[in-house]
Amino acid sequence: MGTAPATGRGFGRLLVTVYGILAFAATGRSAYQVATKLDEAPAAYLLSLLAAALYVVATVALARGGRGRWRTVAWCAVLVEAAGVVLVGALSAVVPELFVEATVWSGFGQGYGYVPLVLPFIGLWWLWHTRPGQHAPATAPDEPTEAR
Amino acid sequence: MVLPLYVLAVALCVALAGWAAWFVIRDRAVILRQLFGAAAVEAVLVVQAVVAGVLQARGHEVDGVLFWGYLLTAALLLPLAAVWAFAERTRWSSVVLCVAASTVAFLQWRLWLIWGGA
Repeated sequence: MGTAPATGRGFGRLLVTVYGILAFAATGRSAYQVATKLDEAPAAYLLSLLAAALYVVATVALARGGRGRWRTVAWCAVLVEAAGVVLVGALSAVVPELFVEATVWSGFGQGYGYVPLVLPFIGLWWLWHTRPGQHAPATAPDEPTEAR
Repeated sequence: MVLPLYVLAVALCVALAGWAAWFVIRDRAVILRQLFGAAAVEAVLVVQAVVAGVLQARGHEVDGVLFWGYLLTAALLLPLAAVWAFAERTRWSSVVLCVAASTVAFLQWRLWLIWGGA
């Protein structure tokens, strides 16, 4: 029996939703950029596409309940996102000429309302909060309510 | 796109988001009637898409890939979010619906700018 609380329930329901929207937005925009103007800034657009792919992976992994392998996948995706947005954000601040064309992560995710900066850290907290072996229910303050 | 449908779509999204926010405050899960509300938004989006298609065919200049990409995203978002939210029987389902409806309203605004309506 799985002792790990599902990462897609309770607060996780919201987390997966926001991840999904970001995945949609980033995939759409970067696919459009790669398809129509890749030659203008190949590195920036391919990096955006990679980031988008990571958001898709994180969305699916978190939605799958975060048991066993999916939990490992979620940890990896979210960790790389956190590292990526901090690294690329810092780089774009120090060496702006490296990122003439904006990526999902440049300016610490400025182009997406800083959601890419905040989200992975909330994701890390949530994965930690719902880690296996914890007996405290993942959604303690929120008892299920009946639809009235 | 035409202005009345744009205004109607945004108004319905805001109303749906407000309704869901009220349910968050009241600690209630999404109910079936709210999904009918989401369906009403979808209906307006579909009509708007048909109108946009006709206007584009008649010569309205617009970045097609960008416009239809946004429109498709906006149209897919609510049904997906509704299914995802409805599986949860806690107030978090209402949070999800509220976020989704707000996002669709935002996408409508983006679509309006891309379309070149002022």
